Amino acid sequence: MRESDPRESEGRLPTVDRRGFVRSLLGFSIISTIMGVLTPIIGYLWPPARSARGGGGRVLVGTLTDIPPGQAEVLPINDKPVIVVNTQDNQVRAFSAICTHLGCVCEWEDRRQFILCPCHDGRFNALTGAVISGPPPSPLPSVEVVVEDGDIYAGGA
Amino acid sequence: MQQKDVFYRTWPLRFWNWLDKRYALQEFLHALVDVPIPRSANTLYLGGITLFLFGIQAITGILLSIYYQPTPENAYGSILFIMNDVRFGWLIRSIHAWGANLMIIFCILHLLRVFVQGAYKPPRELTWMAGVLLLMLTLGFGFTGYLLPWDQRAFWATTVGSEIAGAIPLVGQAALNFLRGGPEITALTLSRFFGTHVLVLPVGLALLVAIHLVMVHQQGLADPTEPTGSPDDLLQEGAEGSRVGGSDDH
Ligand code: HEM
Ligand code: FES
Repeated sequence: MRESDPRESEGRLPTVDRRGFVRSLLGFSIISTIMGVLTPIIGYLWPPARSARGGGGRVLVGTLTDIPPGQAEVLPINDKPVIVVNTQDNQVRAFSAICTHLGCVCEWEDRRQFILCPCHDGRFNALTGAVISGPPPSPLPSVEVVVEDGDIYAGGA
Repeated sequence: MQQKDVFYRTWPLRFWNWLDKRYALQEFLHALVDVPIPRSANTLYLGGITLFLFGIQAITGILLSIYYQPTPENAYGSILFIMNDVRFGWLIRSIHAWGANLMIIFCILHLLRVFVQGAYKPPRELTWMAGVLLLMLTLGFGFTGYLLPWDQRAFWATTVGSEIAGAIPLVGQAALNFLRGGPEITALTLSRFFGTHVLVLPVGLALLVAIHLVMVHQQGLADPTEPTGSPDDLLQEGAEGSRVGGSDDH
Protein backbone atom coordinates (compact mmCIF):
# COMPACT_ATOMS: atom_id res chain seq x y z
CA MET A 1 0.00 0.00 0.00
CA ARG A 2 1.54 3.29 -1.01
CA GLU A 3 1.22 6.16 1.39
CA SER A 4 -0.70 8.10 -1.19
CA ASP A 5 -3.48 5.54 -1.52
CA PRO A 6 -6.55 7.68 -0.79
CA ARG A 7 -8.60 4.75 0.47
CA GLU A 8 -6.09 4.15 3.20
CA SER A 9 -6.66 7.56 4.77
CA GLU A 10 -10.34 6.75 4.81
CA GLY A 11 -9.42 3.83 7.00
CA ARG A 12 -11.04 1.28 4.72
CA LEU A 13 -7.86 -0.78 4.24
CA PRO A 14 -6.06 -2.40 7.12
CA THR A 15 -2.49 -1.28 7.50
CA VAL A 16 -0.09 -4.13 7.02
CA ASP A 17 3.46 -3.19 7.76
CA ARG A 18 6.44 -5.16 6.58
CA ARG A 19 6.81 -7.00 9.87
CA GLY A 20 3.17 -7.99 9.94
CA PHE A 21 3.37 -9.18 6.36
CA VAL A 22 6.42 -11.33 7.02
CA ARG A 23 4.78 -12.74 10.09
CA SER A 24 1.66 -13.80 8.28
CA LEU A 25 3.85 -15.46 5.67
CA LEU A 26 5.54 -17.25 8.53
CA GLY A 27 2.14 -18.22 9.90
CA PHE A 28 1.10 -19.64 6.53
CA SER A 29 4.26 -21.69 6.23
CA ILE A 30 3.86 -23.04 9.75
CA ILE A 31 0.26 -23.98 9.05
CA SER A 32 1.07 -25.62 5.72
CA THR A 33 3.89 -27.59 7.33
CA ILE A 34 1.54 -28.81 10.04
CA MET A 35 -1.02 -29.80 7.41
CA GLY A 36 1.67 -31.60 5.44
CA VAL A 37 2.55 -33.67 8.48
CA LEU A 38 -1.02 -34.28 9.62
CA THR A 39 -2.38 -35.38 6.23
CA PRO A 40 -0.37 -38.63 6.00
CA ILE A 41 -0.93 -39.34 9.69
CA ILE A 42 -4.70 -38.99 9.46
CA GLY A 43 -4.74 -40.95 6.20
CA TYR A 44 -2.71 -43.67 7.90
CA LEU A 45 -5.00 -43.89 10.91
CA TRP A 46 -8.13 -44.07 8.77
CA PRO A 47 -9.08 -47.78 8.39
CA PRO A 48 -7.70 -49.01 5.06
CA ALA A 49 -10.13 -50.32 2.47
CA ARG A 50 -9.42 -54.01 2.18
CA SER A 51 -11.86 -54.36 -0.68
CA ALA A 52 -9.00 -53.94 -3.13
CA ARG A 53 -7.96 -57.50 -2.38
CA GLY A 54 -10.05 -60.64 -1.83
CA GLY A 55 -13.85 -60.35 -1.66
CA GLY A 56 -15.01 -60.92 -5.25
CA GLY A 57 -11.64 -59.81 -6.53
CA ARG A 58 -11.28 -62.69 -8.97
CA VAL A 59 -9.07 -62.03 -11.94
CA LEU A 60 -9.29 -63.15 -15.56
CA VAL A 61 -5.96 -64.88 -16.05
CA GLY A 62 -6.38 -66.08 -19.62
CA THR A 63 -8.17 -68.62 -21.77
CA LEU A 64 -7.79 -72.35 -22.15
CA THR A 65 -5.87 -71.66 -25.38
CA ASP A 66 -3.35 -69.55 -23.43
CA ILE A 67 -2.77 -72.41 -21.02
CA PRO A 68 -3.35 -75.61 -23.00
CA PRO A 69 -3.49 -79.02 -21.29
CA GLY A 70 -0.15 -79.98 -19.78
CA GLN A 71 0.87 -76.33 -19.31
CA ALA A 72 0.92 -73.87 -16.42
CA GLU A 73 1.67 -70.22 -15.86
CA VAL A 74 2.84 -68.17 -12.88
CA LEU A 75 0.90 -64.91 -12.62
CA PRO A 76 0.64 -62.09 -10.10
CA ILE A 77 -2.82 -62.19 -8.53
CA ASN A 78 -3.61 -59.66 -5.80
CA ASP A 79 0.11 -58.87 -5.48
CA LYS A 80 1.06 -62.51 -4.97
CA PRO A 81 2.47 -65.10 -7.36
CA VAL A 82 -0.05 -67.79 -8.25
CA ILE A 83 0.55 -70.79 -10.51
CA VAL A 84 -2.41 -71.73 -12.73
CA VAL A 85 -2.14 -75.32 -14.00
CA ASN A 86 -4.09 -77.03 -16.76
CA THR A 87 -3.30 -80.73 -16.35
CA GLN A 88 -3.02 -83.20 -19.20
CA ASP A 89 -6.52 -84.46 -18.48
CA ASN A 90 -7.98 -80.91 -18.61
CA GLN A 91 -8.25 -80.20 -14.90
CA VAL A 92 -7.61 -76.54 -14.09
CA ARG A 93 -6.08 -75.81 -10.68
CA ALA A 94 -4.38 -72.83 -9.07
CA PHE A 95 -1.98 -72.67 -6.13
CA SER A 96 0.03 -70.05 -4.37
CA ALA A 97 3.41 -70.22 -6.08
CA ILE A 98 5.27 -69.25 -2.91
CA CYS A 99 7.22 -72.31 -1.83
CA THR A 100 6.31 -73.39 1.69
CA HIS A 101 9.96 -74.13 2.42
CA LEU A 102 11.76 -70.77 2.23
CA GLY A 103 9.48 -68.77 0.04
CA CYS A 104 10.99 -69.02 -3.45
CA VAL A 105 8.60 -68.66 -6.40
CA CYS A 106 7.81 -72.05 -7.93
CA GLU A 107 7.72 -72.87 -11.64
CA TRP A 108 6.18 -75.46 -13.92
CA GLU A 109 8.21 -78.56 -14.74
CA ASP A 110 6.91 -79.24 -18.22
CA ARG A 111 8.62 -82.55 -18.93
CA ARG A 112 7.65 -84.30 -15.69
CA GLN A 113 4.37 -82.44 -15.11
CA PHE A 114 4.76 -81.20 -11.54
CA ILE A 115 5.30 -77.88 -9.78
CA LEU A 116 8.98 -77.35 -9.04
CA CYS A 117 10.69 -75.04 -6.60
CA PRO A 118 14.05 -74.19 -8.19
CA CYS A 119 15.70 -73.28 -4.89
CA HIS A 120 16.05 -76.65 -3.19
CA ASP A 121 14.28 -78.94 -5.61
CA GLY A 122 10.97 -78.99 -3.76
CA ARG A 123 8.32 -80.78 -5.86
CA PHE A 124 4.55 -80.44 -5.62
CA ASN A 125 1.66 -82.39 -7.13
CA ALA A 126 -0.04 -80.39 -9.88
CA LEU A 127 -3.55 -81.57 -8.95
CA THR A 128 -3.46 -81.23 -5.16
CA GLY A 129 -0.44 -79.08 -4.35
CA ALA A 130 0.81 -81.86 -2.05
CA VAL A 131 4.55 -82.27 -1.52
CA ILE A 132 6.04 -85.01 -3.70
CA SER A 133 9.61 -84.66 -2.47
CA GLY A 134 12.13 -82.15 -1.19
CA PRO A 135 12.34 -79.90 1.86
CA PRO A 136 8.95 -78.11 1.79
CA PRO A 137 7.09 -78.93 5.02
CA SER A 138 3.53 -78.45 3.74
CA PRO A 139 1.50 -78.40 0.51
CA LEU A 140 1.02 -75.28 -1.58
CA PRO A 141 -2.21 -73.54 -0.51
CA SER A 142 -4.73 -73.76 -3.31
CA VAL A 143 -6.35 -70.72 -4.86
CA GLU A 144 -9.95 -70.60 -6.10
CA VAL A 145 -10.15 -71.06 -9.85
CA VAL A 146 -13.12 -71.36 -12.26
CA VAL A 147 -13.43 -71.84 -16.02
CA GLU A 148 -16.32 -70.11 -17.79
CA ASP A 149 -16.63 -70.42 -21.58
CA GLY A 150 -12.95 -71.17 -21.89
CA ASP A 151 -12.00 -68.15 -19.74
CA ILE A 152 -9.98 -68.89 -16.59
CA TYR A 153 -10.63 -66.81 -13.49
CA ALA A 154 -8.49 -67.12 -10.37
CA GLY A 155 -8.45 -65.56 -6.92
CA GLY A 156 -11.40 -64.09 -5.04
CA ALA A 157 -13.56 -65.75 -2.45
CA MET B 1 2.80 -1.81 22.94
CA GLN B 2 2.45 -3.55 19.55
CA GLN B 3 0.23 -0.99 17.84
CA LYS B 4 -1.77 -2.86 15.25
CA ASP B 5 0.51 -5.78 14.71
CA VAL B 6 -1.51 -8.48 12.89
CA PHE B 7 0.54 -11.17 14.51
CA TYR B 8 -0.38 -10.09 18.00
CA ARG B 9 -4.02 -10.21 17.07
CA THR B 10 -3.82 -13.84 15.95
CA TRP B 11 -5.37 -16.36 18.28
CA PRO B 12 -2.30 -18.56 18.85
CA LEU B 13 -0.43 -15.55 20.14
CA ARG B 14 -3.31 -14.37 22.27
CA PHE B 15 -3.64 -17.83 23.72
CA TRP B 16 0.08 -17.92 24.42
CA ASN B 17 -0.11 -14.54 26.18
CA TRP B 18 -3.07 -15.75 28.21
CA LEU B 19 -1.11 -18.82 29.36
CA ASP B 20 2.07 -16.83 29.90
CA LYS B 21 0.32 -14.36 32.19
CA ARG B 22 -0.75 -17.22 34.41
CA TYR B 23 2.29 -19.51 34.39
CA ALA B 24 5.24 -17.26 33.50
CA LEU B 25 6.07 -19.56 30.61
CA GLN B 26 8.25 -17.01 28.88
CA GLU B 27 10.55 -16.95 31.86
CA PHE B 28 10.65 -20.73 32.06
CA LEU B 29 11.48 -21.08 28.37
CA HIS B 30 14.08 -18.36 28.71
CA ALA B 31 15.81 -20.24 31.50
CA LEU B 32 15.75 -23.45 29.44
CA VAL B 33 16.68 -22.17 26.02
CA ASP B 34 18.51 -18.84 26.25
CA VAL B 35 21.77 -20.29 27.41
CA PRO B 36 25.07 -18.80 26.29
CA ILE B 37 26.99 -21.21 24.10
CA PRO B 38 30.57 -20.85 22.91
CA ARG B 39 30.81 -18.51 19.92
CA SER B 40 32.92 -20.80 17.77
CA ALA B 41 30.95 -23.96 18.37
CA ASN B 42 29.90 -25.17 14.94
CA THR B 43 29.16 -28.80 15.72
CA LEU B 44 26.95 -28.52 18.78
CA TYR B 45 23.76 -29.33 16.88
CA LEU B 46 24.61 -33.02 16.49
CA GLY B 47 23.06 -34.05 19.80
CA GLY B 48 19.98 -31.98 18.97
CA ILE B 49 19.57 -33.73 15.63
CA THR B 50 19.79 -37.08 17.41
CA LEU B 51 17.04 -35.97 19.79
CA PHE B 52 14.92 -34.75 16.89
CA LEU B 53 15.33 -38.13 15.19
CA PHE B 54 14.27 -39.86 18.37
CA GLY B 55 11.08 -37.79 18.25
CA ILE B 56 10.51 -38.90 14.64
CA GLN B 57 11.12 -42.54 15.63
CA ALA B 58 8.69 -42.30 18.53
CA ILE B 59 5.91 -40.85 16.35
CA THR B 60 6.41 -43.19 13.39
CA GLY B 61 6.99 -46.15 15.74
CA ILE B 62 3.74 -45.55 17.60
CA LEU B 63 1.96 -45.33 14.23
CA LEU B 64 3.54 -48.62 13.07
CA SER B 65 2.51 -50.37 16.28
CA ILE B 66 -1.12 -49.64 15.36
CA TYR B 67 -1.01 -52.11 12.44
CA TYR B 68 1.99 -54.29 13.28
CA GLN B 69 1.20 -57.70 14.86
CA PRO B 70 4.02 -59.23 16.92
CA THR B 71 3.34 -62.94 16.33
CA PRO B 72 5.21 -65.32 14.01
CA GLU B 73 2.01 -66.02 12.07
CA ASN B 74 1.09 -62.41 11.45
CA ALA B 75 4.23 -60.27 11.70
CA TYR B 76 5.40 -60.45 8.11
CA GLY B 77 1.85 -60.25 6.76
CA SER B 78 1.17 -57.15 8.82
CA ILE B 79 4.29 -55.50 7.38
CA LEU B 80 3.04 -56.29 3.86
CA PHE B 81 -0.34 -54.91 4.86
CA ILE B 82 1.28 -51.68 6.06
CA MET B 83 3.31 -51.37 2.86
CA ASN B 84 0.54 -52.24 0.37
CA ASP B 85 -2.86 -51.48 1.88
CA VAL B 86 -2.57 -48.81 4.56
CA ARG B 87 -2.59 -45.27 3.18
CA PHE B 88 0.89 -43.75 3.55
CA GLY B 89 1.97 -46.96 5.29
CA TRP B 90 5.01 -47.20 3.00
CA LEU B 91 5.88 -43.63 3.98
CA ILE B 92 5.60 -44.17 7.73
CA ARG B 93 7.56 -47.42 7.63
CA SER B 94 10.27 -45.98 5.40
CA ILE B 95 10.68 -42.92 7.61
CA HIS B 96 11.01 -45.22 10.61
CA ALA B 97 13.64 -47.36 8.88
CA TRP B 98 15.63 -44.36 7.59
CA GLY B 99 15.30 -42.53 10.88
CA ALA B 100 16.68 -45.57 12.70
CA ASN B 101 19.85 -45.51 10.62
CA LEU B 102 20.21 -41.74 10.79
CA MET B 103 19.71 -41.74 14.55
CA ILE B 104 22.61 -44.14 15.02
CA ILE B 105 24.80 -42.14 12.62
CA PHE B 106 24.10 -38.82 14.34
CA CYS B 107 24.52 -40.33 17.78
CA ILE B 108 28.01 -41.47 16.77
CA LEU B 109 28.84 -38.11 15.14
CA HIS B 110 27.76 -36.39 18.37
CA LEU B 111 30.02 -38.68 20.37
CA LEU B 112 32.95 -37.98 18.03
CA ARG B 113 32.46 -34.23 18.35
CA VAL B 114 32.46 -34.46 22.15
CA PHE B 115 35.56 -36.60 21.98
CA VAL B 116 37.49 -34.46 19.51
CA GLN B 117 36.73 -31.27 21.41
CA GLY B 118 37.66 -32.87 24.70
CA ALA B 119 34.25 -31.97 26.12
CA TYR B 120 34.13 -35.22 28.08
CA LYS B 121 36.81 -34.05 30.50
CA PRO B 122 36.04 -33.19 34.13
CA PRO B 123 33.58 -32.01 35.31
CA ARG B 124 31.59 -33.66 32.50
CA GLU B 125 32.46 -37.33 33.10
CA LEU B 126 28.92 -38.36 34.01
CA THR B 127 27.42 -36.62 31.00
CA TRP B 128 29.79 -38.65 28.83
CA MET B 129 28.88 -41.89 30.59
CA ALA B 130 25.17 -41.21 30.23
CA GLY B 131 25.92 -40.58 26.55
CA VAL B 132 27.61 -43.94 26.15
CA LEU B 133 24.55 -45.61 27.66
CA LEU B 134 22.36 -43.64 25.26
CA LEU B 135 24.35 -44.97 22.32
CA MET B 136 23.94 -48.52 23.60
CA LEU B 137 20.17 -48.07 23.97
CA THR B 138 20.01 -46.63 20.44
CA LEU B 139 21.88 -49.66 19.10
CA GLY B 140 19.51 -51.83 21.12
CA PHE B 141 16.60 -50.22 19.23
CA GLY B 142 18.21 -51.19 15.97
CA PHE B 143 18.93 -54.75 17.09
CA THR B 144 15.43 -55.44 18.46
CA GLY B 145 13.65 -53.58 15.65
CA TYR B 146 15.42 -55.53 12.96
CA LEU B 147 13.76 -58.80 14.02
CA LEU B 148 10.24 -57.41 13.91
CA PRO B 149 9.51 -57.82 10.17
CA TRP B 150 10.12 -61.56 10.80
CA ASP B 151 11.49 -62.28 7.35
CA GLN B 152 14.59 -64.25 6.44
CA ARG B 153 16.91 -61.29 6.87
CA ALA B 154 15.46 -60.51 10.28
CA PHE B 155 15.64 -64.12 11.44
CA TRP B 156 19.25 -64.69 10.41
CA ALA B 157 20.46 -61.30 11.58
CA THR B 158 19.08 -62.09 15.03
CA THR B 159 20.54 -65.59 14.89
CA VAL B 160 24.00 -64.19 14.19
CA GLY B 161 23.64 -61.28 16.59
CA SER B 162 22.62 -63.43 19.51
CA GLU B 163 25.33 -65.97 18.70
CA ILE B 164 27.85 -63.19 19.21
CA ALA B 165 26.56 -62.91 22.77
CA GLY B 166 26.80 -66.69 22.98
CA ALA B 167 30.54 -66.49 22.33
CA ILE B 168 31.24 -64.70 25.61
CA PRO B 169 33.35 -66.96 27.85
CA LEU B 170 31.51 -68.65 30.76
CA VAL B 171 28.25 -66.67 30.67
CA GLY B 172 27.82 -66.91 26.90
CA GLN B 173 25.15 -69.60 26.82
CA ALA B 174 23.18 -67.84 29.56
CA ALA B 175 23.38 -64.53 27.68
CA LEU B 176 22.18 -66.22 24.51
CA ASN B 177 19.27 -67.87 26.29
CA PHE B 178 18.37 -64.57 27.90
CA LEU B 179 18.37 -62.71 24.57
CA ARG B 180 16.36 -65.36 22.75
CA GLY B 181 14.09 -66.35 25.60
CA GLY B 182 15.37 -69.92 25.17
CA PRO B 183 17.99 -71.72 23.12
CA GLU B 184 16.18 -71.11 19.80
CA ILE B 185 14.63 -68.13 18.04
CA THR B 186 10.91 -68.63 18.51
CA ALA B 187 7.69 -66.75 19.14
CA LEU B 188 9.13 -65.98 22.60
CA THR B 189 12.06 -64.18 20.98
CA LEU B 190 9.73 -62.12 18.82
CA SER B 191 7.57 -61.01 21.72
CA ARG B 192 10.46 -60.12 24.00
CA PHE B 193 12.14 -58.16 21.20
CA PHE B 194 8.88 -56.38 20.51
CA GLY B 195 8.30 -55.52 24.17
CA THR B 196 11.87 -54.28 24.50
CA HIS B 197 11.62 -52.29 21.30
CA VAL B 198 8.36 -50.47 21.98
CA LEU B 199 8.30 -50.20 25.80
CA VAL B 200 11.56 -50.85 27.63
CA LEU B 201 13.93 -48.97 25.34
CA PRO B 202 11.73 -45.92 24.63
CA VAL B 203 11.06 -45.33 28.33
CA GLY B 204 14.72 -45.97 29.22
CA LEU B 205 16.00 -43.72 26.47
CA ALA B 206 13.59 -40.88 27.32
CA LEU B 207 14.60 -40.93 30.99
CA LEU B 208 18.27 -41.07 30.16
CA VAL B 209 17.99 -38.22 27.65
CA ALA B 210 16.34 -36.12 30.35
CA ILE B 211 19.20 -36.83 32.75
CA HIS B 212 21.79 -36.17 30.02
CA LEU B 213 20.21 -32.80 29.19
CA VAL B 214 19.80 -31.71 32.81
CA MET B 215 23.51 -32.37 33.31
CA VAL B 216 24.38 -30.40 30.18
CA HIS B 217 22.13 -27.54 31.25
CA GLN B 218 23.53 -27.33 34.75
CA GLN B 219 27.15 -27.18 33.60
CA GLY B 220 26.79 -25.25 30.40
CA LEU B 221 28.53 -26.38 27.24
CA ALA B 222 32.27 -26.74 27.18
CA ASP B 223 34.05 -23.99 25.29
CA PRO B 224 36.17 -25.63 22.59
CA THR B 225 38.34 -22.51 22.22
CA GLU B 226 39.35 -22.67 25.86
CA PRO B 227 42.38 -24.88 26.32
CA THR B 228 41.23 -27.68 28.57
CA GLY B 229 44.63 -29.29 28.58
CA SER B 230 45.64 -32.89 28.56
CA PRO B 231 45.07 -35.08 31.63
CA ASP B 232 48.69 -34.31 32.51
CA ASP B 233 47.99 -30.59 32.63
CA LEU B 234 45.11 -31.16 34.99
CA LEU B 235 47.51 -32.66 37.49
CA GLN B 236 49.61 -29.50 37.45
CA GLU B 237 48.77 -26.83 39.96
CA GLY B 238 47.09 -23.71 38.71
CA ALA B 239 43.71 -22.39 37.73
CA GLU B 240 41.95 -25.64 37.12
CA GLY B 241 38.60 -23.94 37.08
CA SER B 242 39.44 -22.05 33.94
CA ARG B 243 40.89 -25.11 32.25
CA VAL B 244 37.59 -26.84 32.60
CA GLY B 245 36.11 -24.00 30.66
CA GLY B 246 32.66 -22.95 29.65
CA SER B 247 30.72 -22.98 32.83
CA ASP B 248 32.26 -19.87 34.40
CA ASP B 249 30.84 -17.35 31.98
CA HIS B 250 27.25 -17.64 33.12
C1 HEM C 1 14.18 -44.45 18.96
C2 HEM C 1 14.84 -45.19 18.19
C3 HEM C 1 14.26 -46.32 17.37
C4 HEM C 1 15.03 -47.03 16.53
C5 HEM C 1 16.51 -46.83 16.27
C6 HEM C 1 14.17 -48.02 15.91
C7 HEM C 1 14.61 -48.97 14.98
C8 HEM C 1 13.80 -49.84 14.28
C9 HEM C 1 14.23 -50.68 13.18
C10 HEM C 1 15.67 -50.80 12.63
C11 HEM C 1 13.13 -51.36 12.74
C12 HEM C 1 13.06 -52.31 11.58
C13 HEM C 1 12.63 -51.45 10.40
C14 HEM C 1 12.25 -52.18 9.18
O1 HEM C 1 13.01 -53.06 8.75
O2 HEM C 1 11.19 -51.87 8.69
C15 HEM C 1 12.00 -50.98 13.56
C16 HEM C 1 10.71 -51.46 13.44
C17 HEM C 1 9.65 -51.14 14.31
N1 HEM C 1 9.65 -50.18 15.31
FE1 HEM C 1 11.25 -49.06 15.83
N2 HEM C 1 12.89 -47.90 16.40
C18 HEM C 1 12.88 -46.87 17.33
C19 HEM C 1 11.79 -46.43 18.06
C20 HEM C 1 10.54 -47.02 18.06
C21 HEM C 1 9.45 -46.66 18.93
C22 HEM C 1 9.50 -45.55 19.97
C23 HEM C 1 8.39 -47.49 18.62
C24 HEM C 1 7.00 -47.57 19.21
C25 HEM C 1 6.59 -47.17 20.35
C26 HEM C 1 8.82 -48.36 17.55
C27 HEM C 1 8.01 -49.34 16.94
C28 HEM C 1 8.41 -50.17 15.90
C29 HEM C 1 7.58 -51.14 15.26
C30 HEM C 1 6.13 -51.48 15.61
C31 HEM C 1 8.36 -51.75 14.26
C32 HEM C 1 7.94 -52.87 13.32
C33 HEM C 1 7.51 -52.36 11.99
C34 HEM C 1 8.57 -52.53 10.92
O3 HEM C 1 9.44 -53.41 11.04
O4 HEM C 1 8.53 -51.78 9.94
N3 HEM C 1 10.11 -48.06 17.25
N4 HEM C 1 12.44 -50.05 14.48
S1 FES D 1 12.52 -72.63 -1.00
FE1 FES D 1 11.46 -74.04 -2.16
S2 FES D 1 12.51 -75.86 -1.76
FE2 FES D 1 13.57 -74.42 -0.50
